[in-house]
Amino acid sequence: MNPKRLLLAKTGLDCHDTGIITVAQTLREAGYEVIYLGLHNGVKEVVKAAVEEDVDGIGVSYLSGQHMTQMRRLLQAMRAENLDVPVFCGGVIPGSDAEELRAMGVAEVIPPGTLSKDLLGMVARALASHDAR
Amino acid sequence: MTSGGASIAAPGARDAEEQLFETNAGIEIAECYGPDDIRNFNPEADLGKPGDFPFTRGPYAGMYRTRIWTRRFQVGFGSPQETNERIKYLHANGANGFVITIDLPTSYGFDSDAEIADGEVGVTGVAISTLEDMEALYEGFGPDKVSYALSIRPPVSTVTLAMLACVAEKKNVALDQVIGTQQNDPFFQMSGGPLQTITQFFPLDGTLRLCIDNIEFISTRMPRLNWMVTNGYNLRETGVNAIQDGVFTLGHAFDIFRAAKVRGLDVNSFPRRASFFLSASIDFFEEIAKFRAMRRIYAHTMREQFGATNPECWRLRFSVQTAGNTLTTQQPEVNIVRAAYEAMAAAFGGAQSIHLCSYDEGHGLPTEESSRIALRTQQVLAYETGVTKTIDPLAGSYYVEAMTDRMEKEIRQGLAELDAQGGMAEAVKSGWLESQINQARYRNQQALDSGRRPLVAVNRFTIPKEEEKPVKVHKIRADEWGARRARYLAQFRAERDPQSWSGALARVEQAYKTNSNMVPVIMHALRAKATMGEIHDAMRRAHGWEGRQV
Repeated sequence: MNPKRLLLAKTGLDCHDTGIITVAQTLREAGYEVIYLGLHNGVKEVVKAAVEEDVDGIGVSYLSGQHMTQMRRLLQAMRAENLDVPVFCGGVIPGSDAEELRAMGVAEVIPPGTLSKDLLGMVARALASHDAR
Repeated sequence: MTSGGASIAAPGARDAEEQLFETNAGIEIAECYGPDDIRNFNPEADLGKPGDFPFTRGPYAGMYRTRIWTRRFQVGFGSPQETNERIKYLHANGANGFVITIDLPTSYGFDSDAEIADGEVGVTGVAISTLEDMEALYEGFGPDKVSYALSIRPPVSTVTLAMLACVAEKKNVALDQVIGTQQNDPFFQMSGGPLQTITQFFPLDGTLRLCIDNIEFISTRMPRLNWMVTNGYNLRETGVNAIQDGVFTLGHAFDIFRAAKVRGLDVNSFPRRASFFLSASIDFFEEIAKFRAMRRIYAHTMREQFGATNPECWRLRFSVQTAGNTLTTQQPEVNIVRAAYEAMAAAFGGAQSIHLCSYDEGHGLPTEESSRIALRTQQVLAYETGVTKTIDPLAGSYYVEAMTDRMEKEIRQGLAELDAQGGMAEAVKSGWLESQINQARYRNQQALDSGRRPLVAVNRFTIPKEEEKPVKVHKIRADEWGARRARYLAQFRAERDPQSWSGALARVEQAYKTNSNMVPVIMHALRAKATMGEIHDAMRRAHGWEGRQV
């Protein structure tokens, strides 16, 4: 079986990238193919890249309070392109917002202090349950 | 009694009582330190008196006996008016210095009504687009009376510096009486690491030039205003260790100093108001040793390499924030204790100003309640514990002096390696620094995964998720703030004289091209009601820079 491909990106003006870069490396070490788009992407660019690269999932992260605005935009842009893959959102996300994000369709919200084995478990489960649909 | 049995150790974590005898940076720690470990210790040369070369014991004679460190309070959200009201409230409650945080659009030189600002206005800090905005921030306060540290970097700090000068002018405060700090770090203000974030919206050469413009203007016209050389804090927050922290922070400062010398600025004058912003992390003695060693290296380097003869240019002064990256999202109240220890390390390290992270920062932006606890924590340290009552109380400790020497040696070695990379600016441009940072990031995660680095509530002494208490969070009103700011700016633009406005912006372009100092020209443009975004656009045009587009 080919390795799963994941697209990781920061969107908007937030530039805190320690989490997402660590996650990218952790996923690579675990055998995923990871494309990291870097900082300051627009959501349309993320969706375009996800379609072109035919990825199995998208990961984004936020530290500075933009997560609700940015996630709404990203999910909307995905719907507009009929892109249906699991979306992972990491970072500093208040608990009530995390629930709202899940209700909006985000597959997993990954908080700081997540150990790698837990991260890998979350990602694998979300990808598998999406495949099973 | 609650440790061990009551806790649920994360699978794979080591035994909770197993210890690793090394510092966070990997320096081996001996069982016991004694006279043999400081055989070459010469108190006169290695320590000096407080306020004297090499300043190991502190940059000032008297230290906290004369004046306790500044209890800084970080503030900034929504509009300048809202932030000003909050500052007035905090001022009345005993905060005596303020770090003003700026929202992301402003931090990158965009107005609140720019398309790119959508959803970001007022979120991470206050929005500042016009001279009126800065005036609103200082409403009720003279810039010679209250000290604001503006958390901002060039190119934007050139505009905020010009705004501050204009505010002083309007309030009839002489420029040489203005106090406060303009953070002026061209590299590490935006979260520390990535080159992309400092080159995304403005050309790097332009940023470096404006950094020196600011230093020139401040050192010649506003001698009481501090300017921050290096935001070592943000750099450290990326995950590098205490040794790298010292190396990159000092290396960067010396690089900027060399550039200032090339500009023709006097090494006996401009470094007087240079200051540093540093992190106090959780490894107590290593951090104390880092602060002491950095002061010593700085003093020697300024005197011996830069040839400064003015003692004021030898002393390293720094503000501290406790380490955000040591906080946990899990069992967040525990963070209050972490910040307290870190602040104590900063006090033993001789910090001039201290800010504590709030316990809830793993959940969102701090609330008023959590900010107050953070302030109270350091008020306990300052007023109750007695640590302020004698200077550098750990001096002469076998361990602390041995560790200070070791940190000095390690940092000096790192500085030599950095020089071999061509200095900090080159190391940033070549990606060398970023690769160092990325290695550290991954290493840190592995240390957490394996339990090599114990982290209470994460890989030791965890509780089930259901037992975690919900945390109150700061309410973000980005949409409301954005809409209000857009209405304000539309009116602001409608009410200005188009001719003097466009003439002033043309002057900005011209001055940028002819390498004039930009601060006075930008002051003129601000008086003609040019905005933050328009001034940046004019400078980008003058640079012929198309930019990356989001």
